[in-house]
Amino acid sequence: MAFLIEGFLRAMELLLSGDTSTWSAVSATVKASTGSMLVSLLTGLPCGFILGYFDFRFKRPIRTLLDTLLALPTVCVGLIVYAFISSKGPLGDMNLLFTLTGIAVGQTILAFPVVTAITASIIENIDPALKLTLVSLGAGKKNIILTCLWEVRFGILAAAVTAYGRILTEVGISMIVGGNIKYHTRTMTTAIALETNKGMFADGIALGIVLMAIAFAVNLSLSFLRKR
Amino acid sequence: MTQPTHLYTLCRISHYYGSKKVLDIDEFSIPAGTILGLSGPNGSGKTTLLKLLAFAIAPSHGEIRFNGRREYPMSARVRSKVTLMTQTPYLLKRSVLDNVVYGLKIRKDTKKLKQRAGRALAAVGLDFDTFHNRAWHQLSGGEAQRVALAARLILEPRALLLDEPVASVDAESALLIRQASLAARDKWGCTLIIVSHDLAWLNAVSDTRVSMEKGRIFSTHKEIVLPPPYQTIQTDSTANWVLPISSGRHISLPDKTGETALISADKIKIIQTSENQSDERNRIPVLVTSMALEPKTGDIEVDFDADTFRLTLLLSKEQAGALNMQPGKKSTLVFRTQDIFWR
Repeated sequence: MAFLIEGFLRAMELLLSGDTSTWSAVSATVKASTGSMLVSLLTGLPCGFILGYFDFRFKRPIRTLLDTLLALPTVCVGLIVYAFISSKGPLGDMNLLFTLTGIAVGQTILAFPVVTAITASIIENIDPALKLTLVSLGAGKKNIILTCLWEVRFGILAAAVTAYGRILTEVGISMIVGGNIKYHTRTMTTAIALETNKGMFADGIALGIVLMAIAFAVNLSLSFLRKR
Repeated sequence: MTQPTHLYTLCRISHYYGSKKVLDIDEFSIPAGTILGLSGPNGSGKTTLLKLLAFAIAPSHGEIRFNGRREYPMSARVRSKVTLMTQTPYLLKRSVLDNVVYGLKIRKDTKKLKQRAGRALAAVGLDFDTFHNRAWHQLSGGEAQRVALAARLILEPRALLLDEPVASVDAESALLIRQASLAARDKWGCTLIIVSHDLAWLNAVSDTRVSMEKGRIFSTHKEIVLPPPYQTIQTDSTANWVLPISSGRHISLPDKTGETALISADKIKIIQTSENQSDERNRIPVLVTSMALEPKTGDIEVDFDADTFRLTLLLSKEQAGALNMQPGKKSTLVFRTQDIFWR
Protein backbone atom coordinates (compact mmCIF):
# COMPACT_ATOMS: atom_id res chain seq x y z
CA MET A 1 0.00 0.00 0.00
CA ALA A 2 2.87 2.33 0.88
CA PHE A 3 4.28 2.22 -2.63
CA LEU A 4 0.91 3.30 -4.02
CA ILE A 5 0.80 6.35 -1.72
CA GLU A 6 4.45 7.07 -2.51
CA GLY A 7 3.61 6.73 -6.21
CA PHE A 8 0.70 9.15 -5.88
CA LEU A 9 2.86 11.77 -4.12
CA ARG A 10 5.59 11.37 -6.75
CA ALA A 11 2.94 11.73 -9.43
CA MET A 12 1.81 15.06 -7.99
CA GLU A 13 5.41 16.21 -7.93
CA LEU A 14 5.96 15.21 -11.58
CA LEU A 15 2.83 16.97 -12.73
CA LEU A 16 3.30 20.13 -10.71
CA SER A 17 6.98 20.46 -11.58
CA GLY A 18 6.12 20.31 -15.29
CA ASP A 19 8.10 17.14 -15.99
CA THR A 20 8.76 17.25 -19.72
CA SER A 21 8.39 13.55 -20.50
CA THR A 22 5.10 13.36 -18.60
CA TRP A 23 3.63 16.44 -20.22
CA SER A 24 4.92 15.38 -23.64
CA ALA A 25 2.89 12.17 -23.32
CA VAL A 26 -0.15 14.22 -22.24
CA SER A 27 0.29 16.55 -25.21
CA ALA A 28 0.70 13.65 -27.69
CA THR A 29 -2.46 11.99 -26.37
CA VAL A 30 -4.54 15.15 -26.54
CA LYS A 31 -3.31 16.00 -30.06
CA ALA A 32 -3.90 12.52 -31.53
CA SER A 33 -7.25 11.98 -29.81
CA THR A 34 -8.59 15.46 -30.67
CA GLY A 35 -7.66 15.04 -34.34
CA SER A 36 -9.19 11.58 -34.57
CA MET A 37 -12.35 12.69 -32.73
CA LEU A 38 -12.87 15.62 -35.08
CA VAL A 39 -12.51 13.44 -38.18
CA SER A 40 -14.67 10.63 -36.80
CA LEU A 41 -17.41 13.10 -35.81
CA LEU A 42 -17.31 14.88 -39.17
CA THR A 43 -17.60 11.59 -41.04
CA GLY A 44 -19.54 9.48 -38.53
CA LEU A 45 -22.40 11.89 -37.88
CA PRO A 46 -23.58 12.18 -41.51
CA CYS A 47 -23.05 8.46 -42.09
CA GLY A 48 -24.97 7.64 -38.91
CA PHE A 49 -27.78 9.98 -39.98
CA ILE A 50 -28.04 8.39 -43.42
CA LEU A 51 -27.98 4.92 -41.90
CA GLY A 52 -30.60 5.74 -39.30
CA TYR A 53 -32.91 7.95 -41.36
CA PHE A 54 -33.11 6.36 -44.78
CA ASP A 55 -34.08 2.88 -45.88
CA PHE A 56 -31.90 1.43 -48.58
CA ARG A 57 -30.56 -1.86 -49.84
CA PHE A 58 -27.84 -3.46 -47.68
CA LYS A 59 -28.76 -1.24 -44.72
CA ARG A 60 -29.09 -4.22 -42.36
CA PRO A 61 -25.74 -5.85 -43.31
CA ILE A 62 -24.03 -2.48 -42.92
CA ARG A 63 -25.57 -2.06 -39.44
CA THR A 64 -24.43 -5.55 -38.51
CA LEU A 65 -20.91 -4.81 -39.74
CA LEU A 66 -20.81 -1.55 -37.81
CA ASP A 67 -22.07 -3.21 -34.65
CA THR A 68 -19.32 -5.80 -35.03
CA LEU A 69 -16.74 -3.07 -35.47
CA LEU A 70 -17.79 -1.61 -32.12
CA ALA A 71 -15.84 -4.44 -30.51
CA LEU A 72 -12.85 -4.06 -32.83
CA PRO A 73 -9.65 -4.92 -30.91
CA THR A 74 -7.28 -1.97 -30.93
CA VAL A 75 -4.27 -4.16 -31.72
CA CYS A 76 -6.05 -5.38 -34.86
CA VAL A 77 -6.62 -1.78 -35.99
CA GLY A 78 -2.99 -1.04 -35.16
CA LEU A 79 -1.86 -4.02 -37.18
CA ILE A 80 -3.99 -3.15 -40.21
CA VAL A 81 -2.96 0.53 -40.17
CA TYR A 82 0.68 -0.53 -39.73
CA ALA A 83 0.37 -2.84 -42.75
CA PHE A 84 -0.98 0.01 -44.85
CA ILE A 85 1.40 2.79 -43.80
CA SER A 86 4.64 0.88 -43.31
CA SER A 87 7.27 1.43 -46.01
CA LYS A 88 6.14 -1.77 -47.82
CA GLY A 89 2.42 -0.89 -47.52
CA PRO A 90 0.26 0.79 -50.17
CA LEU A 91 0.33 4.10 -48.26
CA GLY A 92 3.98 3.85 -47.28
CA ASP A 93 4.91 6.95 -49.27
CA MET A 94 2.83 9.10 -46.97
CA ASN A 95 5.38 8.61 -44.16
CA LEU A 96 2.72 8.23 -41.48
CA LEU A 97 4.40 5.41 -39.56
CA PHE A 98 5.61 6.43 -36.10
CA THR A 99 3.83 9.79 -36.28
CA LEU A 100 0.94 11.26 -34.30
CA THR A 101 -0.99 11.55 -37.58
CA GLY A 102 -0.60 7.79 -38.04
CA ILE A 103 -1.96 7.21 -34.53
CA ALA A 104 -4.86 9.59 -35.28
CA VAL A 105 -5.69 7.63 -38.45
CA GLY A 106 -5.88 4.40 -36.45
CA GLN A 107 -7.92 6.02 -33.70
CA THR A 108 -10.32 7.45 -36.28
CA ILE A 109 -10.92 3.92 -37.57
CA LEU A 110 -11.61 2.92 -33.98
CA ALA A 111 -13.98 5.82 -33.21
CA PHE A 112 -15.85 5.98 -36.54
CA PRO A 113 -18.00 2.86 -35.98
CA VAL A 114 -18.84 4.04 -32.45
CA VAL A 115 -20.02 7.48 -33.61
CA THR A 116 -21.82 6.07 -36.68
CA ALA A 117 -23.56 3.16 -34.96
CA ILE A 118 -24.74 5.17 -31.95
CA THR A 119 -25.88 8.10 -34.13
CA ALA A 120 -27.78 5.67 -36.40
CA SER A 121 -29.52 4.10 -33.39
CA ILE A 122 -30.45 7.51 -32.01
CA ILE A 123 -31.79 8.71 -35.35
CA GLU A 124 -33.74 5.47 -35.83
CA ASN A 125 -35.41 6.04 -32.49
CA ILE A 126 -36.39 9.64 -33.21
CA ASP A 127 -40.07 10.26 -32.59
CA PRO A 128 -41.75 9.89 -36.01
CA ALA A 129 -43.80 12.96 -35.11
CA LEU A 130 -40.64 15.08 -35.34
CA LYS A 131 -40.19 14.62 -39.08
CA LEU A 132 -43.89 15.17 -39.71
CA THR A 133 -43.76 18.32 -37.58
CA LEU A 134 -40.74 19.66 -39.45
CA VAL A 135 -42.29 18.93 -42.85
CA SER A 136 -45.54 20.53 -41.74
CA LEU A 137 -43.67 23.64 -40.59
CA GLY A 138 -42.14 23.95 -44.04
CA ALA A 139 -38.65 22.53 -43.44
CA GLY A 140 -36.67 21.41 -46.47
CA LYS A 141 -34.29 18.43 -46.52
CA LYS A 142 -31.33 20.38 -45.13
CA ASN A 143 -33.36 21.82 -42.29
CA ILE A 144 -34.85 18.41 -41.49
CA ILE A 145 -31.37 16.89 -41.17
CA LEU A 146 -29.95 19.74 -39.09
CA THR A 147 -32.98 20.01 -36.81
CA CYS A 148 -33.14 16.25 -36.28
CA LEU A 149 -29.46 16.23 -35.29
CA TRP A 150 -30.03 19.18 -32.96
CA GLU A 151 -33.05 17.47 -31.39
CA VAL A 152 -30.93 14.43 -30.49
CA ARG A 153 -27.88 16.47 -29.52
CA PHE A 154 -27.63 14.90 -26.05
CA GLY A 155 -27.58 11.41 -27.53
CA ILE A 156 -24.93 12.49 -30.02
CA LEU A 157 -22.85 13.97 -27.21
CA ALA A 158 -23.07 10.60 -25.49
CA ALA A 159 -21.87 8.96 -28.72
CA ALA A 160 -18.95 11.40 -28.85
CA VAL A 161 -18.03 10.73 -25.22
CA THR A 162 -18.18 6.96 -25.75
CA ALA A 163 -15.95 7.26 -28.81
CA TYR A 164 -13.57 9.62 -27.00
CA GLY A 165 -13.34 7.19 -24.09
CA ARG A 166 -12.44 4.40 -26.49
CA ILE A 167 -9.62 6.29 -28.20
CA LEU A 168 -8.32 7.96 -25.04
CA THR A 169 -7.78 4.60 -23.39
CA GLU A 170 -6.47 2.54 -26.31
CA VAL A 171 -2.90 1.19 -26.25
CA GLY A 172 -2.65 -1.12 -29.25
CA ILE A 173 -2.77 1.50 -32.02
CA SER A 174 -0.48 3.97 -30.25
CA MET A 175 2.02 1.25 -29.53
CA ILE A 176 2.08 -0.41 -32.97
CA VAL A 177 1.56 2.60 -35.24
CA GLY A 178 3.20 5.24 -33.03
CA GLY A 179 6.09 3.14 -31.84
CA ASN A 180 6.06 4.68 -28.33
CA ILE A 181 8.85 7.14 -29.18
CA LYS A 182 9.66 9.39 -26.23
CA TYR A 183 8.88 13.10 -26.76
CA HIS A 184 7.33 12.24 -30.11
CA THR A 185 4.65 9.53 -30.26
CA ARG A 186 4.59 8.35 -26.65
CA THR A 187 1.01 8.73 -25.45
CA MET A 188 -0.25 8.45 -21.90
CA THR A 189 -1.42 4.86 -22.27
CA THR A 190 1.79 3.61 -23.89
CA ALA A 191 3.81 5.52 -21.31
CA ILE A 192 1.83 3.95 -18.45
CA ALA A 193 2.43 0.48 -19.90
CA LEU A 194 6.13 1.18 -20.34
CA GLU A 195 6.71 2.82 -16.94
CA THR A 196 4.83 0.03 -15.15
CA ASN A 197 6.97 -2.58 -16.92
CA LYS A 198 10.05 -0.66 -15.76
CA GLY A 199 8.72 -0.57 -12.19
CA MET A 200 8.28 3.22 -12.32
CA PHE A 201 4.86 3.26 -10.66
CA ALA A 202 4.94 6.98 -9.85
CA ASP A 203 5.22 7.97 -13.51
CA GLY A 204 2.47 5.52 -14.40
CA ILE A 205 0.18 6.81 -11.67
CA ALA A 206 0.88 10.43 -12.68
CA LEU A 207 -0.23 9.73 -16.24
CA GLY A 208 -3.15 7.68 -14.98
CA ILE A 209 -4.31 10.66 -12.92
CA VAL A 210 -4.14 12.96 -15.96
CA LEU A 211 -6.03 10.41 -18.05
CA MET A 212 -8.77 10.24 -15.41
CA ALA A 213 -8.80 14.04 -15.11
CA ILE A 214 -9.30 14.45 -18.87
CA ALA A 215 -12.17 11.93 -18.85
CA PHE A 216 -13.69 13.74 -15.86
CA ALA A 217 -13.32 17.16 -17.52
CA VAL A 218 -14.98 15.91 -20.72
CA ASN A 219 -17.93 14.49 -18.78
CA LEU A 220 -18.19 17.61 -16.63
CA SER A 221 -18.36 19.86 -19.68
CA LEU A 222 -21.00 17.61 -21.21
CA SER A 223 -23.03 17.73 -18.05
CA PHE A 224 -22.77 21.55 -18.18
CA LEU A 225 -23.91 21.58 -21.81
CA ARG A 226 -26.88 19.36 -20.98
CA LYS A 227 -28.00 21.77 -18.29
CA ARG A 228 -27.87 24.64 -20.75
CA MET B 1 -55.62 35.31 -63.59
CA THR B 2 -58.51 34.32 -61.34
CA GLN B 3 -57.85 32.17 -58.31
CA PRO B 4 -59.46 28.72 -58.37
CA THR B 5 -62.43 28.51 -56.03
CA HIS B 6 -61.26 25.17 -54.69
CA LEU B 7 -58.05 25.15 -52.70
CA TYR B 8 -57.83 21.36 -52.84
CA THR B 9 -59.09 18.95 -55.45
CA LEU B 10 -58.54 15.24 -54.95
CA CYS B 11 -58.87 13.00 -57.99
CA ARG B 12 -59.06 9.20 -57.82
CA ILE B 13 -57.03 9.02 -54.62
CA SER B 14 -56.22 5.70 -53.07
CA HIS B 15 -53.62 5.01 -50.45
CA TYR B 16 -52.26 1.74 -49.10
CA TYR B 17 -50.29 0.74 -46.00
CA GLY B 18 -48.72 -2.47 -47.24
CA SER B 19 -51.55 -4.30 -48.96
CA LYS B 20 -54.26 -2.63 -46.87
CA LYS B 21 -56.24 0.07 -48.63
CA VAL B 22 -56.79 2.91 -46.18
CA LEU B 23 -58.10 5.63 -48.49
CA ASP B 24 -60.36 5.46 -51.49
CA ILE B 25 -61.62 8.84 -52.64
CA ASP B 26 -62.92 9.23 -56.15
CA GLU B 27 -63.34 12.98 -56.24
CA PHE B 28 -63.40 15.55 -53.48
CA SER B 29 -62.90 19.31 -53.44
CA ILE B 30 -62.40 21.75 -50.61
CA PRO B 31 -63.36 25.36 -51.31
CA ALA B 32 -60.85 28.05 -50.34
CA GLY B 33 -61.57 29.91 -47.11
CA THR B 34 -63.86 27.32 -45.58
CA ILE B 35 -63.61 25.36 -42.37
CA LEU B 36 -64.18 21.70 -43.09
CA GLY B 37 -64.96 19.40 -40.16
CA LEU B 38 -63.96 15.80 -40.60
CA SER B 39 -65.24 13.05 -38.32
CA GLY B 40 -65.35 9.29 -38.34
CA PRO B 41 -64.38 6.24 -36.33
CA ASN B 42 -60.78 5.32 -35.53
CA GLY B 43 -59.01 3.79 -38.50
CA SER B 44 -61.36 5.39 -41.01
CA GLY B 45 -58.47 7.23 -42.73
CA LYS B 46 -58.84 10.74 -41.32
CA THR B 47 -55.22 11.18 -40.23
CA THR B 48 -53.91 9.66 -43.46
CA LEU B 49 -56.07 12.09 -45.43
CA LEU B 50 -54.66 15.01 -43.42
CA LYS B 51 -51.10 13.83 -44.10
CA LEU B 52 -51.89 13.69 -47.81
CA LEU B 53 -53.43 17.16 -47.72
CA ALA B 54 -50.36 18.41 -45.84
CA PHE B 55 -48.17 16.92 -48.60
CA ALA B 56 -46.29 15.03 -45.92
CA ILE B 57 -46.83 11.80 -47.85
CA ALA B 58 -47.78 11.06 -51.44
CA PRO B 59 -50.89 9.04 -52.27
CA SER B 60 -50.29 5.54 -53.66
CA HIS B 61 -52.49 6.48 -56.62
CA GLY B 62 -54.25 9.60 -57.85
CA GLU B 63 -53.46 13.28 -57.71
CA ILE B 64 -53.95 16.15 -55.32
CA ARG B 65 -54.36 19.60 -56.78
CA PHE B 66 -53.58 22.57 -54.61
CA ASN B 67 -54.74 25.92 -55.88
CA GLY B 68 -55.46 24.32 -59.23
CA ARG B 69 -52.03 22.78 -59.65
CA ARG B 70 -50.90 19.19 -59.07
CA GLU B 71 -48.52 19.15 -56.12
CA TYR B 72 -46.19 16.68 -54.46
CA PRO B 73 -44.56 16.23 -51.02
CA MET B 74 -41.66 18.62 -50.30
CA SER B 75 -42.71 20.87 -53.18
CA ALA B 76 -41.43 24.37 -52.43
CA ARG B 77 -44.73 25.84 -53.65
CA VAL B 78 -46.82 24.15 -50.96
CA ARG B 79 -44.24 23.84 -48.18
CA SER B 80 -44.76 27.38 -47.04
CA LYS B 81 -48.52 27.41 -47.58
CA VAL B 82 -49.80 24.29 -45.85
CA THR B 83 -49.23 23.30 -42.26
CA LEU B 84 -50.45 20.40 -40.17
CA MET B 85 -50.80 20.11 -36.41
CA THR B 86 -50.76 16.47 -35.38
CA GLN B 87 -52.90 14.95 -32.65
CA THR B 88 -49.98 14.88 -30.20
CA PRO B 89 -47.97 17.87 -31.33
CA TYR B 90 -44.21 17.52 -31.15
CA LEU B 91 -42.49 20.49 -29.60
CA LEU B 92 -38.85 20.98 -30.44
CA LYS B 93 -36.48 20.70 -27.47
CA ARG B 94 -36.13 24.45 -27.15
CA SER B 95 -37.94 27.39 -25.61
CA VAL B 96 -41.52 28.33 -26.43
CA LEU B 97 -40.30 31.35 -28.42
CA ASP B 98 -37.91 29.20 -30.48
CA ASN B 99 -40.71 26.73 -31.15
CA VAL B 100 -43.13 29.44 -32.27
CA VAL B 101 -40.68 31.19 -34.62
CA TYR B 102 -39.05 28.01 -36.03
CA GLY B 103 -41.15 28.05 -39.22
CA LEU B 104 -40.40 31.72 -39.84
CA LYS B 105 -36.67 31.22 -39.30
CA ILE B 106 -36.42 28.42 -41.84
CA ARG B 107 -38.26 30.70 -44.27
CA LYS B 108 -35.60 33.31 -43.45
CA ASP B 109 -38.42 35.66 -42.48
CA THR B 110 -36.86 37.09 -39.34
CA LYS B 111 -38.41 40.56 -39.09
CA LYS B 112 -39.94 41.47 -35.72
CA LEU B 113 -39.93 37.87 -34.58
CA LYS B 114 -40.74 38.64 -30.95
CA GLN B 115 -43.70 40.87 -31.76
CA ARG B 116 -45.14 38.32 -34.18
CA ALA B 117 -44.58 35.51 -31.70
CA GLY B 118 -46.34 37.63 -29.08
CA ARG B 119 -49.35 38.05 -31.35
CA ALA B 120 -49.45 34.33 -32.23
CA LEU B 121 -49.24 33.35 -28.58
CA ALA B 122 -51.93 35.88 -27.67
CA ALA B 123 -54.21 34.40 -30.33
CA VAL B 124 -54.12 31.09 -28.46
CA GLY B 125 -54.46 32.73 -25.06
CA LEU B 126 -50.84 32.54 -23.88
CA ASP B 127 -49.06 35.54 -22.40
CA PHE B 128 -45.76 36.21 -24.19
CA ASP B 129 -43.89 37.44 -21.10
CA THR B 130 -44.95 34.43 -19.06
CA PHE B 131 -44.32 31.78 -21.65
CA HIS B 132 -41.71 32.79 -24.21
CA ASN B 133 -38.73 31.66 -22.14
CA ARG B 134 -40.25 28.43 -20.90
CA ALA B 135 -38.65 25.19 -22.03
CA TRP B 136 -40.71 22.62 -23.94
CA HIS B 137 -40.91 20.36 -20.89
CA GLN B 138 -42.30 23.07 -18.65
CA LEU B 139 -45.69 23.15 -20.40
CA SER B 140 -48.92 21.33 -19.62
CA GLY B 141 -50.60 19.27 -22.35
CA GLY B 142 -53.04 22.06 -23.18
CA GLU B 143 -50.30 24.71 -23.22
CA ALA B 144 -48.13 22.55 -25.50
CA GLN B 145 -51.10 22.13 -27.83
CA ARG B 146 -51.62 25.89 -27.94
CA VAL B 147 -47.90 26.60 -28.47
CA ALA B 148 -47.97 24.15 -31.39
CA LEU B 149 -50.98 25.97 -32.82
CA ALA B 150 -49.27 29.37 -32.34
CA ALA B 151 -46.24 27.98 -34.25
CA ARG B 152 -48.57 27.34 -37.18
CA LEU B 153 -50.70 30.47 -36.95
CA ILE B 154 -47.60 32.70 -37.07
CA LEU B 155 -46.94 31.33 -40.57
CA GLU B 156 -50.34 32.59 -41.77
CA PRO B 157 -50.75 29.49 -43.94
CA ARG B 158 -53.29 29.17 -46.73
CA ALA B 159 -54.31 25.78 -45.36
CA LEU B 160 -54.22 24.80 -41.71
CA LEU B 161 -54.85 21.13 -40.96
CA LEU B 162 -55.66 20.23 -37.38
CA ASP B 163 -55.79 16.62 -36.19
CA GLU B 164 -57.81 16.29 -32.98
CA PRO B 165 -56.82 19.75 -31.71
CA VAL B 166 -59.05 19.52 -28.62
CA ALA B 167 -58.62 15.83 -27.80
CA SER B 168 -56.55 16.45 -24.67
CA VAL B 169 -57.34 20.00 -23.64
CA ASP B 170 -59.75 21.54 -21.16
CA ALA B 171 -62.89 23.46 -22.13
CA GLU B 172 -61.12 26.83 -21.95
CA SER B 173 -58.31 25.70 -24.26
CA ALA B 174 -60.89 24.20 -26.64
CA LEU B 175 -62.67 27.55 -26.79
CA LEU B 176 -59.39 29.41 -27.43
CA ILE B 177 -58.42 26.97 -30.18
CA ARG B 178 -61.83 27.46 -31.77
CA GLN B 179 -61.53 31.25 -31.62
CA ALA B 180 -58.00 31.13 -33.07
CA SER B 181 -59.18 28.87 -35.90
CA LEU B 182 -62.06 31.18 -36.78
CA ALA B 183 -59.76 34.23 -36.59
CA ALA B 184 -57.30 32.57 -39.01
CA ARG B 185 -60.10 32.11 -41.53
CA ASP B 186 -61.47 35.63 -41.05
CA LYS B 187 -58.10 37.46 -41.00
CA TRP B 188 -56.24 35.94 -43.94
CA GLY B 189 -58.77 33.61 -45.53
CA CYS B 190 -57.12 30.48 -44.20
CA THR B 191 -58.77 27.21 -45.19
CA LEU B 192 -59.04 24.90 -42.19
CA ILE B 193 -59.55 21.16 -42.25
CA ILE B 194 -60.20 19.89 -38.77
CA VAL B 195 -60.47 16.30 -37.58
CA SER B 196 -62.22 15.80 -34.27
CA HIS B 197 -64.25 13.27 -32.35
CA ASP B 198 -65.80 16.11 -30.36
CA LEU B 199 -68.77 16.58 -32.66
CA ALA B 200 -70.27 19.46 -30.69
CA TRP B 201 -66.98 21.39 -30.90
CA LEU B 202 -66.60 20.45 -34.57
CA ASN B 203 -70.12 21.68 -35.32
CA ALA B 204 -69.39 24.96 -33.60
CA VAL B 205 -66.25 25.65 -35.60
CA SER B 206 -66.86 24.20 -39.07
CA ASP B 207 -68.80 25.49 -42.05
CA THR B 208 -69.12 22.07 -43.66
CA ARG B 209 -68.97 18.59 -42.15
CA VAL B 210 -68.00 15.36 -43.80
CA SER B 211 -67.46 11.97 -42.26
CA MET B 212 -65.16 9.12 -43.15
CA GLU B 213 -65.74 5.42 -43.05
CA LYS B 214 -63.31 2.78 -44.31
CA GLY B 215 -61.26 5.35 -46.20
CA ARG B 216 -64.22 6.96 -47.96
CA ILE B 217 -65.76 10.38 -47.53
CA PHE B 218 -69.48 10.86 -46.97
CA SER B 219 -71.64 13.91 -46.42
CA THR B 220 -72.38 14.06 -42.72
CA HIS B 221 -76.08 14.20 -41.84
CA LYS B 222 -77.12 13.51 -45.43
CA GLU B 223 -75.78 10.03 -46.01
CA ILE B 224 -75.78 7.47 -43.22
CA VAL B 225 -73.21 4.71 -43.49
CA LEU B 226 -74.34 1.21 -42.64
CA PRO B 227 -70.87 -0.14 -42.00
CA PRO B 228 -69.59 -3.63 -42.86
CA PRO B 229 -69.19 -6.56 -42.24
CA TYR B 230 -72.00 -7.66 -44.54
CA GLN B 231 -73.15 -11.25 -44.93
CA THR B 232 -75.33 -13.27 -47.23
CA ILE B 233 -78.18 -15.40 -45.95
CA GLN B 234 -79.99 -18.05 -47.91
CA THR B 235 -83.74 -17.57 -48.27
CA ASP B 236 -85.59 -20.02 -50.50
CA SER B 237 -83.37 -20.28 -53.53
CA THR B 238 -81.75 -16.83 -53.35
CA ALA B 239 -78.87 -15.39 -51.35
CA ASN B 240 -79.69 -12.03 -49.77
CA TRP B 241 -77.24 -9.51 -48.43
CA VAL B 242 -77.70 -8.45 -44.81
CA LEU B 243 -75.99 -6.40 -42.14
CA PRO B 244 -76.16 -8.36 -38.88
CA ILE B 245 -77.10 -6.32 -35.83
CA SER B 246 -77.71 -7.35 -32.22
CA SER B 247 -79.73 -10.33 -30.95
CA GLY B 248 -79.72 -12.30 -34.19
CA ARG B 249 -81.46 -9.48 -36.08
CA HIS B 250 -80.24 -8.06 -39.33
CA ILE B 251 -80.81 -5.24 -41.76
CA SER B 252 -81.84 -6.44 -45.20
CA LEU B 253 -79.74 -4.92 -47.94
CA PRO B 254 -80.30 -4.70 -51.68
CA ASP B 255 -78.09 -6.69 -54.05
CA LYS B 256 -74.48 -5.72 -53.47
CA THR B 257 -73.20 -3.33 -56.09
CA GLY B 258 -70.54 -1.49 -54.09
CA GLU B 259 -68.35 -1.71 -51.00
CA THR B 260 -70.33 0.36 -48.51
CA ALA B 261 -74.07 0.41 -47.84
CA LEU B 262 -75.62 3.87 -47.34
CA ILE B 263 -78.99 5.41 -46.83
CA SER B 264 -80.11 9.01 -47.11
CA ALA B 265 -80.88 10.46 -43.71
CA ASP B 266 -84.28 11.68 -44.88
CA LYS B 267 -85.33 8.09 -45.61
CA ILE B 268 -84.98 7.10 -41.96
CA LYS B 269 -87.95 7.39 -39.65
CA ILE B 270 -87.58 7.48 -35.90
CA ILE B 271 -90.39 5.90 -33.90
CA GLN B 272 -91.01 5.27 -30.22
CA THR B 273 -90.04 1.73 -29.25
CA SER B 274 -93.57 1.07 -28.06
CA GLU B 275 -95.02 1.69 -31.52
CA ASN B 276 -95.83 -1.63 -33.10
CA GLN B 277 -95.87 -1.77 -36.85
CA SER B 278 -95.95 -4.87 -38.93
CA ASP B 279 -94.54 -4.29 -42.36
CA GLU B 280 -91.46 -5.33 -44.27
CA ARG B 281 -89.34 -2.37 -43.26
CA ASN B 282 -86.02 -2.67 -41.41
CA ARG B 283 -86.24 -1.82 -37.73
CA ILE B 284 -83.14 -1.10 -35.67
CA PRO B 285 -83.44 -0.68 -31.90
CA VAL B 286 -81.17 2.24 -30.91
CA LEU B 287 -80.17 4.14 -27.81
CA VAL B 288 -79.70 7.92 -27.81
CA THR B 289 -76.16 8.42 -26.51
CA SER B 290 -75.66 12.17 -26.90
CA MET B 291 -77.24 15.29 -28.31
CA ALA B 292 -75.58 18.49 -29.44
CA LEU B 293 -76.85 21.78 -30.74
CA GLU B 294 -75.82 22.69 -34.29
CA PRO B 295 -75.26 26.40 -33.60
CA LYS B 296 -75.53 27.65 -37.17
CA THR B 297 -78.95 26.10 -37.92
CA GLY B 298 -80.34 25.51 -34.44
CA ASP B 299 -80.88 21.84 -35.30
CA ILE B 300 -80.10 19.04 -32.89
CA GLU B 301 -77.47 16.45 -33.72
CA VAL B 302 -78.47 13.14 -32.13
CA ASP B 303 -76.03 10.26 -31.78
CA PHE B 304 -77.57 6.79 -31.76
CA ASP B 305 -75.95 3.57 -30.62
CA ALA B 306 -77.21 0.69 -32.75
CA ASP B 307 -75.11 -1.78 -30.77
CA THR B 308 -72.87 -2.89 -33.64
CA PHE B 309 -72.43 0.61 -35.06
CA ARG B 310 -73.21 4.23 -34.33
CA LEU B 311 -74.95 6.81 -36.44
CA THR B 312 -75.81 10.47 -36.21
CA LEU B 313 -78.98 12.15 -37.41
CA LEU B 314 -79.80 15.82 -37.54
CA LEU B 315 -83.25 16.65 -36.21
CA SER B 316 -85.10 19.94 -36.08
CA LYS B 317 -85.91 21.25 -32.62
CA GLU B 318 -89.55 20.44 -33.26
CA GLN B 319 -88.80 16.84 -34.29
CA ALA B 320 -86.55 16.29 -31.30
CA GLY B 321 -89.20 17.75 -29.03
CA ALA B 322 -92.01 15.67 -30.53
CA LEU B 323 -89.99 12.48 -30.13
CA ASN B 324 -89.00 13.53 -26.61
CA MET B 325 -85.36 12.85 -27.48
CA GLN B 326 -82.93 12.69 -24.59
CA PRO B 327 -79.73 10.76 -23.90
CA GLY B 328 -80.53 7.28 -22.63
CA LYS B 329 -83.86 7.08 -24.46
CA LYS B 330 -84.56 3.96 -26.50
CA SER B 331 -86.02 4.40 -29.98
CA THR B 332 -86.33 2.51 -33.21
CA LEU B 333 -85.07 3.54 -36.62
CA VAL B 334 -87.22 2.38 -39.51
CA PHE B 335 -86.32 2.38 -43.19
CA ARG B 336 -86.98 0.45 -46.38
CA THR B 337 -84.43 -1.85 -47.98
CA GLN B 338 -84.99 -0.27 -51.39
CA ASP B 339 -83.83 3.09 -49.99
CA ILE B 340 -80.42 1.61 -49.19
CA PHE B 341 -77.81 2.01 -51.89
CA TRP B 342 -74.22 0.90 -52.39
CA ARG B 343 -71.13 2.93 -53.10
